[in-house]
Amino acid sequence: MTTTKSSQHRAEKRTRIAPATFNRRDLVKGAVGAGAMTFALGAQAPMIVRGQSKTNVTFWTTYTDTGLKNLTDIVNAFNKQSTDTNVKIVQIPPAEVTDSSKLITAVRGGTGPDVYLLDRFIVNERAANGLLEDLTDLMKKNGMNPDLTEDYIEFAAREATFDGKPYALPFDTDVRALYYNKAMIKEAGIDPATWDPSKGVLLWDDIKATAAKLNKKDTNGNFTQAGLVPWFDQGLPYTFGFSWGGTFFDKSKCEVTPDNDKIVASGDWIYNYAKDQGVDAFQAFIQAAMKPGAPPQQNPFIQKRMAMWITGDWSIQNLATYAPDIDYGITYLPVPTKGMNSTTWAGGWSVVIPQGAKEPEGAFKFMKYFAGPEGQKMYTKASSHVPTLKSVQADKSLYSGKHVFFIEKLLPTTKNRPPLPVGAKFWDELQTAWQKIYLNKESAKQAYGEAKQNTQTLIQQFCPIT
Amino acid sequence: MAKAIIAEATQTAEQFRSQRRAHWMRLFSQQVLPRIILIAVCALFLLPFYWMVVTALKTTPELAKYPPTFFPSALRWSNFRDATHVITFWLYMRNTAIITALTVIASVISNPIIAYGFSRIEWPGRDKVFLLVLATVFVPFPVLIVALFDIFAKLHWVNTYLPLIVPMFFGQAFWIFLMRQFLMGVPREISDAARIDGANEFRIFYEIVLPQALPAIGVISIFAAIYAWNDFLGPLIYLQDASKYTIAVGLAFFRSQHDFQYSLAMAAATIVVIPVIVLFLFFQRAFVEGITVGSIK
Amino acid sequence: MNPSTTVQTTVDESLSAAARAQGRTGRFHLPSRGERRNLVLGLLFISPWLVGFLAFLVYPIYYTFRLSFTRYSGFGQPTWIGLANYQRMFDDQVYHTALWNTFYYVALAVPIGVIVAMVLALAMNAPVPEVPVYRTILFMPSVLPLFAISFIFLTLLDPNQGIVNEFLREFGIHPPNWFGDTRYAKIAIVAIAQFGAGQVALIFLAGLKGIPQSLYEAAMIDGAGIASRFRNVTLPLMTPVILYDLILGVSQGLQVFTESYIITQGGPANSTNFYVYYLYANAFRYGGQMGYAAAMAVVLFLITFAIAILIFQTSNRWVHYDVT
Repeated sequence: MTTTKSSQHRAEKRTRIAPATFNRRDLVKGAVGAGAMTFALGAQAPMIVRGQSKTNVTFWTTYTDTGLKNLTDIVNAFNKQSTDTNVKIVQIPPAEVTDSSKLITAVRGGTGPDVYLLDRFIVNERAANGLLEDLTDLMKKNGMNPDLTEDYIEFAAREATFDGKPYALPFDTDVRALYYNKAMIKEAGIDPATWDPSKGVLLWDDIKATAAKLNKKDTNGNFTQAGLVPWFDQGLPYTFGFSWGGTFFDKSKCEVTPDNDKIVASGDWIYNYAKDQGVDAFQAFIQAAMKPGAPPQQNPFIQKRMAMWITGDWSIQNLATYAPDIDYGITYLPVPTKGMNSTTWAGGWSVVIPQGAKEPEGAFKFMKYFAGPEGQKMYTKASSHVPTLKSVQADKSLYSGKHVFFIEKLLPTTKNRPPLPVGAKFWDELQTAWQKIYLNKESAKQAYGEAKQNTQTLIQQFCPIT
Repeated sequence: MAKAIIAEATQTAEQFRSQRRAHWMRLFSQQVLPRIILIAVCALFLLPFYWMVVTALKTTPELAKYPPTFFPSALRWSNFRDATHVITFWLYMRNTAIITALTVIASVISNPIIAYGFSRIEWPGRDKVFLLVLATVFVPFPVLIVALFDIFAKLHWVNTYLPLIVPMFFGQAFWIFLMRQFLMGVPREISDAARIDGANEFRIFYEIVLPQALPAIGVISIFAAIYAWNDFLGPLIYLQDASKYTIAVGLAFFRSQHDFQYSLAMAAATIVVIPVIVLFLFFQRAFVEGITVGSIK
Repeated sequence: MNPSTTVQTTVDESLSAAARAQGRTGRFHLPSRGERRNLVLGLLFISPWLVGFLAFLVYPIYYTFRLSFTRYSGFGQPTWIGLANYQRMFDDQVYHTALWNTFYYVALAVPIGVIVAMVLALAMNAPVPEVPVYRTILFMPSVLPLFAISFIFLTLLDPNQGIVNEFLREFGIHPPNWFGDTRYAKIAIVAIAQFGAGQVALIFLAGLKGIPQSLYEAAMIDGAGIASRFRNVTLPLMTPVILYDLILGVSQGLQVFTESYIITQGGPANSTNFYVYYLYANAFRYGGQMGYAAAMAVVLFLITFAIAILIFQTSNRWVHYDVT
């Protein structure tokens, strides 16, 4: 008990800086000089629409495009059936998933939203920072069990829990796989039927050989077509690290372990892939599509310029919308050596109430709907993601076509990122290491070693992590 | 004799030739070489603008063309309209204009008053304090953002324009300096005469000295306007609500938020840059004066 | 208004003016009534600056300094952790990278900036009649918003669609992927900075115009060529202006942020993760790191200060104030 977070916090209280010493009165006095201008501006700050009996709840999301549309549909459905709450969805600028700067600055400025859609593996970090409301009381009041594991699948519930308390309601989850354009791999002399998942798991080295045959360059050495850029989209440190059988966190030592042999081996494979097939050319080829929030139309697979694509279940919908004419297949993520089991990983999002929310009650009503059976069912059908509510996940009628493969075959093979109070920092460090590896700037061992060291300097203050 | 004449003739010819050579050298070093350098550098400096405008006018198929075309085959003017539709462009422009106007007003009020205290009144320690003013120019603003954000958050000023404007009411070191330089040049006699007539110091400032300083106030207004229009880090930190964004922040997010088409981005950039260029062309002289005052100590 | 007091003060003033004219009568003297009055008036006029200085500069610096000894997420209260944030800087390789990137940028952008500006100023000083046109063109980019210029360069230096790489290809040079390559991203940002050289060039030009023609004539009589005249007359006389630009340039260079934020987001592989960018990320992106960001701010302040002092210290070896 003495080692838990809360007692640690209590101990820290004694050494806190007294808030009164941050002298704010002087500043206010100084501001008086600004006179009428201050008032004129200050008055226009809060815009509250009055004369409405419903509670207004603001819901922020970084989703764009079809993702935003799917969320808006759920919000509209909620507003239609709710008698006392009206939710307004606000799209805020997307950035890297770990970048919550708009949320953080808004909450600190007292202008945050009531509900925020947060990538679930960051919940722990934001909760540790004190950005999020503890949902325990609201859940009890609404007749829900604060132990999220009862209704939600295990890993999602764990990600949404910090220090034994619920800080988020899990929304969706997702699974990564290898997509391939059948017509294009035929060009490389592969019979697409042999890649069918029923024929077993493929080998990464075979994928590499096939991809090399499909690379085409123009006279200037630029790719006009590529077989596979394995670090594009969901080709991430976690994807390959898990595929090689690595683990990213050692709980007993309270140590992140990107430098473990298996993860380094996966990095070496990427390093050599880039070296063998062209570092700079790849970079120019995918640069436009790699930007955060880049539109699907810039995706080389959708443009039929890339034969293979490591991505998630949601891409079924994107392909149906943007490239309905591509005949493609989906298979397990390949493995490094024959006989290994294929492993993939799952992430997903959740809804949280940031500190200082003006309408936490109304916010929770919406969250209960949004992350409850109604919202999850709508979202699963619209986006081909995977629900996190056990009851909804079991509902087979929600899945059709290629989506079934994800639920039946891939879901049992998933791992997930360790939910850490430094999850965002660790993610960023891994991404930087990843770039150094695929740009051939540093060996995997060196890059991942640095990622470990940089994360470790930060994680120590939270140890032990329970 | 004849030899001497010939020698003399060759000598003058030699002289003449060397004079000519000197002449040509001077012509080359003063007229030709600078022109070559200037024209080349100007072309280099104009290239980004040309590319901005040309890209802004390209059609989507032409934009995707590889290699890129230097002269567009068709001009798509509607890109400008489209660029202002994909984001709430005019709202951002309006917000920026409001902040700019208030910044100008604040600077024009505060800097002359402060500069007056540093130039037209003799008080012990004045010049030492003024050195302190100058020293603040070198304090990097980002050093302060962590604290300023926290302070403004506690005052509930975040997500309003107050953190951007209120500090302007307290003067900016460089603008105080400009104003002071100018006020030092206004003859002492006119204020002395007014003092003998019994005018109080503020009236002297307001009614006698200030009207003399209008050109300097013009320079400060322009500098303040450019500063506010171009500011990025401030609005990025303090403004969260999309309806309050300035065009700088709005455009930065435009990049991640929407289909980042170069044509639309460049159309938007063109519209943003034009007011500055116009202001610059109209008040070039004031710019030059303002900037060069800083150099002549 | 009482006329006698007015007369009295003007008398006092003329007396003190007379005292000034004779030079200070002594180090220690009681301030006269007029001096006291002027002190009050002077302070009154500069009071907005004084308040702003304390509220928006001194107090925030003090606040930052205190925060730098705490762990503070921006929510709740800061927790005192002593020197831990400063210790962390020694272990944090991203911090080292950011520091290195920033020094690299300053070491390249500032001297190149001086050279470019000097060449432009010398060219603009030539007696070419159409020089105002050139001046306008060269000066204009330096007043434009950096965020807009960043956008323009993003397009200009695009590896495939950009015109710069197209030119390079025309000349048979294999063009780099400017912002996508760790070797070139910083250099591209240095190039963007040169686009603003017009402003410094103008300051240099004003300096050049201040050099008396007689000095050149004297040098010419001594048989000095163009190069020698530049080295022995122009350059020494320009050193005060160059000093001014160096110090301001270094201070601004250490703050490089916007280009990195808009174009590269610190990438690729942290190659454009500059000091202020990393400070910003710690303060606002990784929610929990306000204390660390504050410590970084303190160090940045000290670095800026130290470099300015260093430049001043060396300046008496190369800056010439004597000739007018």
